Amino acid sequence: MNAESPILRTVAGYAIPFTLLVALRIFFQGHDEPGGGFIAGVLVASAGAIHLLSYGVERAARIRWWRVAVIGLLVSVCNGIWPMLLGHPYMDNEILHWPVHLPTATFFDLGVMLIVVGTLMTIFVELSLERR
Amino acid sequence: MPPPPTIEVNALPLALALPFAAAAIAAGFGRRLGRATGWIVFAAAAASTAILAGLPGHGEVAGFRVPWLPAIGVDFALRADPFGRFFALLVSGVGIFIVLYAIAYMAGEDARRMPRFWAALAAFMGAMIGIALSDDLLLLFLFWEITSLSSFLLIGHHDDDPKARAGALLALQVTGLGGLVLALGILLVAQITGTFSMSGIASSPAQVAALLSSPLAPAALACILVGVFTKSAQFPFHFWLPRAMVAPTPVSAYLHAATMVKAGVFLLGRMLPLFGGLPMWTPTLVIVGSITMLLGAWKAFHETDLKAILARTTGSTLGFLTLLYGLGAAEQDALQMLNHALYKGALFLVAGIVDHRVHTRDLRKLGGLRGELPLPFLAATLAALSMAGVPPMLGFLAKESFYAGILHNELLAGQPLVRWAILLACLAANALVAAVAAKFVIGTFLGERKGTPVGGHDGAGSHATAGHHADDHGGGHGGGGAHIESPPLWISPLALAAPALALGLLGATSFTGHLATAIASRPEHDFHLSLLPGIGLPLGLSLAGFLLAFVLWSMRTRIAALPAAHAAHHSLDRLWERGIANLAVLGEALSSRWQNGSLRRYFITTLLAVPVLSWLALAKVGLSYRDIAVSLTNLPWFGLFLCVLLGIATVTAVSATNRLQAAIATTTIGFIVSMLFVVYRSPDILLTQILIETVSTIFVLLVLLFMPAFPQRDMDRSSQLVAMGVATVFSLAITVLLLLSMTPGLREEANIAVRPGGLLSLALEKGGGANAVNVIIVDIRSLDTNGEITVLVGVGLCIYGLLRARRARSTAA
Repeated sequence: MNAESPILRTVAGYAIPFTLLVALRIFFQGHDEPGGGFIAGVLVASAGAIHLLSYGVERAARIRWWRVAVIGLLVSVCNGIWPMLLGHPYMDNEILHWPVHLPTATFFDLGVMLIVVGTLMTIFVELSLERR
Repeated sequence: MPPPPTIEVNALPLALALPFAAAAIAAGFGRRLGRATGWIVFAAAAASTAILAGLPGHGEVAGFRVPWLPAIGVDFALRADPFGRFFALLVSGVGIFIVLYAIAYMAGEDARRMPRFWAALAAFMGAMIGIALSDDLLLLFLFWEITSLSSFLLIGHHDDDPKARAGALLALQVTGLGGLVLALGILLVAQITGTFSMSGIASSPAQVAALLSSPLAPAALACILVGVFTKSAQFPFHFWLPRAMVAPTPVSAYLHAATMVKAGVFLLGRMLPLFGGLPMWTPTLVIVGSITMLLGAWKAFHETDLKAILARTTGSTLGFLTLLYGLGAAEQDALQMLNHALYKGALFLVAGIVDHRVHTRDLRKLGGLRGELPLPFLAATLAALSMAGVPPMLGFLAKESFYAGILHNELLAGQPLVRWAILLACLAANALVAAVAAKFVIGTFLGERKGTPVGGHDGAGSHATAGHHADDHGGGHGGGGAHIESPPLWISPLALAAPALALGLLGATSFTGHLATAIASRPEHDFHLSLLPGIGLPLGLSLAGFLLAFVLWSMRTRIAALPAAHAAHHSLDRLWERGIANLAVLGEALSSRWQNGSLRRYFITTLLAVPVLSWLALAKVGLSYRDIAVSLTNLPWFGLFLCVLLGIATVTAVSATNRLQAAIATTTIGFIVSMLFVVYRSPDILLTQILIETVSTIFVLLVLLFMPAFPQRDMDRSSQLVAMGVATVFSLAITVLLLLSMTPGLREEANIAVRPGGLLSLALEKGGGANAVNVIIVDIRSLDTNGEITVLVGVGLCIYGLLRARRARSTAA
């Protein structure tokens, strides 16, 4: 693939922000409608893949993507541990109603999203580096 | 007697959380903090000690309980009963002085290793306090494993030294394997009694009776004992302890004298109320304990390396403690542990000071240091006197009370031969240990000063020696004694040795006796302790012991020349290492047959497993292909059209002549399948399928270049037939499964989700979301997801590591 293709770059300039917006929407609508952290994560990763293919791997490789995955795991696990500090069992999620309707499982889902993004991007970047 | 009331103390988990917090700080910021890291660990140890000391006592027991995994009855349950609190205080209190000592001792070490050192030491301290306070068996096991792991890091501190690495690995193998067996024992106990709570079982006579009468009880106890014996270096697992002496001296003093090796014995104290009535308890523990005690003392007598001597006598004392529990003498266990921790910790620290000063620990090159190291000499003398059991030290009280305990032991009533055999064994071990104590002090501090050996190597010493150790910090202190002026180095051994004297002197009053009773694991026993013993057998035995020690001491050169002194040294660790090596060979042979790297073979195995497993599952619920009840009448025309397209794409994929063609065709199949989800109105799966197809296409494009030629020309006729057969069987099985999923019986099952009280309403009610699939994933079954995402992160890290390592190799080559 030609990383310097101007057509690809121009399209990517529009596609990436749009994909990220859709991912955001899908992440939050996942609670009541089709969507969720996993799919949102895959969407973000595909935005990352477009970026990687159009602007070259060097810029994408500047981020240590595996750290994103590890942070995601920490977010999920901390969301599970938090109720323990209040005397509830592990992963005992509850629903916050203030300031908005917000189940704490959302944070768990956020962790899932980060893990999917981190893992997929790790693989993309490492495989692209391998090609050179 | 009813158990004392438990009161909830929210500060209790802090006592073990603080060291872990210090460990996290040391691991994360240790490099930036530099020398301050040690002081943070010090503060954590001091704060934990303060919390533990401030707990309520006097008839009440501090506890803390949070449901952890309520579904299987596991709680995060802590309970600071007197014995557990004593052990936790021992860990944190001795920890204070060890950390203080280590700050000075490790000052010349390579700064890059220090964050790991402090993190492992602090985590170890937290885990040991956890073991002491855990009431839940599974929680105890968790901490037990943390101590094994952190001790591995601490023993292998000098990771560039093959000896240190081998010693650390051996310790991890033995204690880790023992830990696995212990886990089995814990699960058996929980299986029998239905609870993981130790105090819950021990306080209920019915539970204990049920446990003892269960046919599984001996197996459970055997498993637990393997865990105990490996951790506490009991025969035949005693060999790892001397090899672990490659650790830096503060580590040896802390792990291998004062605390970790006592964890096993501590667990014996916890198990005594549960398993004490089992017939195998006493004989097993008495025999294993006696062998370990005599073997350790005998070996110690012949060692010439200071730390090796101390390691061997530690093994001997641990054997003695095992023997003690075997006899059910739990009324004095805390006294004996406290006594050993004080004198042995002090002696280890003195050995470290000597090593720093003259760069050797070999007794044959030591002597006459009393003038140069007056305060360590004082500490060593006090500690050695306590070790030998000379009045008025605490060691004397401990020994007297033990002799008295055996003489009045009810278990041995009517067995005078056994009683005297045990007494004689203890007498012999005590005499040997007393002679060793004399050897330690006299050999190091008295006599004339021998020349400082250059370089500090003692190659002729025991192989437990860390001869290189002196080199590692050699650059840091020019005069050889630069650190001796720093007070922490001599404060700590004195601070450990002084209580041995003070508690011994207080034995003249009733204080020591009351203290020993208050902290014992079974305090209700009528227990007397006095510095002024009556004229009786215990005193006679003590005197006989001193006499024998003197004889041994004066005949030491002749005994050293005995052939038995050199026979079969370290044979068991060789045997163990050969066993591990054979295991590796076996594993390699097995995996080179099963995991031969042929993708086609893996694929065939997986594809064949699916039909076989699904056939088994179907047979179990009584379904077969005859139950298929599907009508294609409601299939719309565009659905049929999509199926035709699907067929064309499949044929294209199979007949593709190059890999790119095949990849595009497979992607097309995926997208057409997702169109089918439109037909059947399942937007969730549609969305996922489209995205997954996109991502896998990117994957395929990325790895296309690395793939071998396609299609593979080397496939002969027979393997082609095999591949076709496998593909046919697999696709038939999947087709049957899919069609069966629409049978009326199974549909009813699936509809449970939609019914009131089903998963849909549960999702709305508990998760607050209408998308049941997502709520199930992130809330209702979040534990499953938790496992899956952990695996995902692991996979990502593995790919990262493997590819990076490969690139690093290829660029280096």
